[in-house]
Amino acid sequence: MAAAFTVIDHTELSGSATTWTKSSIPSSYDHLYLEFSARSDRGSSSRDEMTVRLNGDTGSNYSVTQMFAVSAGSIGSQRQSTTAIEKIYLPASSSTADTFGAGTLWIPNYANTANFKQVLIQAACEGATNTNYEWGLAVCAGLWTSTAAVNQITLGILTGTNFVQYSTFTLYGVTA
Amino acid sequence: MAVFEAIATTYLESTQASVTFSSIPQTYEHLQLRISARGNITGSAGHPMYMRINGDTGSNYSNHTMQTYGGSSLNADPYVNFAYVYQAGRVVMPNSNAGFYAATIIDILDYRNTNKNTTMTGFTESLSASEYLSFYSVLWNDTAAVTSILLYPPSNDFVADTTMTLYGLNSAN
Repeated sequence: MAAAFTVIDHTELSGSATTWTKSSIPSSYDHLYLEFSARSDRGSSSRDEMTVRLNGDTGSNYSVTQMFAVSAGSIGSQRQSTTAIEKIYLPASSSTADTFGAGTLWIPNYANTANFKQVLIQAACEGATNTNYEWGLAVCAGLWTSTAAVNQITLGILTGTNFVQYSTFTLYGVTA
Repeated sequence: MAVFEAIATTYLESTQASVTFSSIPQTYEHLQLRISARGNITGSAGHPMYMRINGDTGSNYSNHTMQTYGGSSLNADPYVNFAYVYQAGRVVMPNSNAGFYAATIIDILDYRNTNKNTTMTGFTESLSASEYLSFYSVLWNDTAAVTSILLYPPSNDFVADTTMTLYGLNSAN
């Protein structure tokens, strides 16, 4: 019986880094699953966003539909077209010390060359705060309008410069 | 060695006030809890499920939630510096239909990494008489490795057939 989950990569940053990239992703799995525990160095802010790019594509070939909460009492939703999948909330430098955002990405049928690629994301910017906009929850559906098989994932920071030390990224291949 | 392994399962054959996963192995990268829970607080259809880590009773837990009630009302709430996790999941109560149990999945990231506080995300629901669906996050404001997890309803007990399984996710094959 084949293992359902296989570790493709695990990285814990030994210092700050502008991106985490996994290249040469084997096409032999059915789906990809990524768990991240990450924090941004964005100054004078408690929150930032992580970005996702696939196969190094920096064109305007992404969109994201998001359901989110960043303040007590309300939930918002939005859709936008971008040069990366965005709206993946992370804590930043003014957030509670030693606190990293928690989240997952699910990329179904990533090696399929017939269909555009979708990325289902859960993300949380946690912190010991009840101040609006200093925390955030997001459920996102990202779309990359390409039929190419995904062979590279790059995660970056939207507003800050770096992921901070001890951020971790674990990429799994999932076999159906 | 499987990458995704069951560490322990608790299946309640009768009522029980709480469930504790203790002596959690310090060999995985991440943890996941999958829960199906019902309680016996009369006059209620559903309640949050509380959590404590490593027996910590200090005001070291924060929790943010976004939810829908009955498919129409949408809102979000912070629960900051509590002495327990206010919403670690959901528990269906007797005013709900018989046979309904609340389903919860909790991802606990880097649970043994002592360079960071422990954070979690979760999805939970309680259906039937009080329909509720929520995505939420949890902060335990402590960098200690997680060695035990206590789960309990606000009062009274979990009832029979409540099940909880703790999984470990490895970061190497």
